[in-house]
Amino acid sequence: MTQQSSRGRGEKILVVDDEHSSDLMRSVLRRLEREGFRPIVVSPEGPRVTGDDFEIQTLFAVEEERPAAVLLDVRFGEYDEDRFKGLTILKRITDRDRSLPVLMFTQYAQGPYRDTAVAASLSVNAPVDFIDKLASPDEVVLRLRRLIGAAPERIQIGTLYELDADNGTVYAVSDGQREPIREIQGMKFEILKELAAALYRSEGELVPFSRLERFSDGEDSRASLRVRIREIKVALGKAAGRNFSADELIINVRNRGYRLVPPRA
Amino acid sequence: MRSTLLKTLRLFGLMTAVVGLLLLALAPVFGNEFTDSLWQVEPMAYVGAAVLLLGLVIALSAYLIGPAQRPANGQTPVRGWSRVTQDYFDTFSHDMGRPFRRILGKEREVRARVEESGQDLPPAVQELLDEIEQQAPSFRLMLANVRVLVELEDPDAAIGYEPVDPVAIVRNIADRYAGIAAERDAELTWWSEPAEFGLVYGDASALDHVVTNLVDNAVKYATRHVELRVTRNPTHYFIRVWDDGPGVPAAHFPHLFDRGWTPEMAGRRERTSSGLGLYIARTLARRAGGEIAVESATNSADREDVNVSHYTTMTVMLPLSKPTTEG
Repeated sequence: MTQQSSRGRGEKILVVDDEHSSDLMRSVLRRLEREGFRPIVVSPEGPRVTGDDFEIQTLFAVEEERPAAVLLDVRFGEYDEDRFKGLTILKRITDRDRSLPVLMFTQYAQGPYRDTAVAASLSVNAPVDFIDKLASPDEVVLRLRRLIGAAPERIQIGTLYELDADNGTVYAVSDGQREPIREIQGMKFEILKELAAALYRSEGELVPFSRLERFSDGEDSRASLRVRIREIKVALGKAAGRNFSADELIINVRNRGYRLVPPRA
Repeated sequence: MRSTLLKTLRLFGLMTAVVGLLLLALAPVFGNEFTDSLWQVEPMAYVGAAVLLLGLVIALSAYLIGPAQRPANGQTPVRGWSRVTQDYFDTFSHDMGRPFRRILGKEREVRARVEESGQDLPPAVQELLDEIEQQAPSFRLMLANVRVLVELEDPDAAIGYEPVDPVAIVRNIADRYAGIAAERDAELTWWSEPAEFGLVYGDASALDHVVTNLVDNAVKYATRHVELRVTRNPTHYFIRVWDDGPGVPAAHFPHLFDRGWTPEMAGRRERTSSGLGLYIARTLARRAGGEIAVESATNSADREDVNVSHYTTMTVMLPLSKPTTEG
């Protein structure tokens, strides 16, 4: 998992889960912070906290904090009436704001309860996704990223580079300083942007030749693409004082397409 | 609350009917004993018949009202035994998942603390932590497999049809298994052709389950690479799961999708899996009007587009939309 491929820009994530203090949830919260998000935990207090308490506090927090997304558990506590409390909360959230992305934590990734959850999410017509409670923190972050929106203007490629789509520049990053890499412009920039966006969406996503060859010219577009990829690698390597081999940075995957792999510092 | 009321009403109705029946049956006996006149018997028989009728009406009404009740939160009612089994299984999996969640949480906590301290872990401890993390997807899949098996046992189970984005499903599965593959020194990549694939019509839950089982298998056996590819033609879409593992010997082909069969069984070795994954995957694929095709080479064979001499490809073929019923 690319822990450094991108950073949340201090966006707030509202975390609504009665097990928020468990080790498992702590690892998720820690991962969100490392990604640059600001997790805000809904934590009602009282002698007998029920799903209703979570519902009230969540709605209050949505109004107060204006989060970029909500991480919401489906099941609250052991009471039968709270088995689907998360779906009630989801409905109440989307009644107020249909554009707020909600990632639901559930053990019901399959089976009839999953259908119940999906039916409920479809009925609210909002950006809602489901993830298993045993999912890795990396998986949670990836899902959140995709729910929140398209690739951001700035994508970090490992710790060494940053691609700024807004001003069409790739930077070499060293000791917090950014140095523009002038050699990567035009079509070379577009190729790198395509690869970086795929990396942002899903670490394993390969960009097929067909999608990259539109940025190549000449009679043999595949050969032209190969040359451009080599030039990109050389320019990136030169800026960071590195020499990337064939199986580093931009990799030709079994002659089907290319994949960007963040370099180790 | 409502079901208790209905149960009480049914019981009351049946008891009333029994009392009515007794009155009806005993009317001639008591009538003869207490009075010589048949006229005296008739009112008791009429009352008995009326009570019997009333009891039956109450009991029948309670039975008729019963099935119409809807579970909370808009769940679709499921036939009795299946729902009960699912409920039991749900409680069971929730309770069984709890200790595993705790273990997984502790493992991640330890890993985080070690990372923060900058210490190096002894290899055996590192191996233990990796093993726990790697078991998480298998554990998830195992629970899901048992749940799906329960569903498959229901002969009347209907297939859900909804708009599905197969690329999103494959992407999510790739996210789940990329880390596991990396820890086993393998690389998992995926892509779709066309890139803007669009929606198909099917059962998202079943599709997720089919592909997860195939990927879990591929990651387990891969040497260096696992590839997932989503493609389509005018009538079907295809999800191909390829791995460069040792391949499937020809002798194993007929048994690959048998329920409970594992490669270890052929070699009389200890089983490392339940042998349910491929059986479930193919059953679900066929139920949706599709199929799973297998292609494999163990060493000597080579294909033009495959640069390794051993591999396994499992291709799920599914219709783009709901199959129409003929006749």
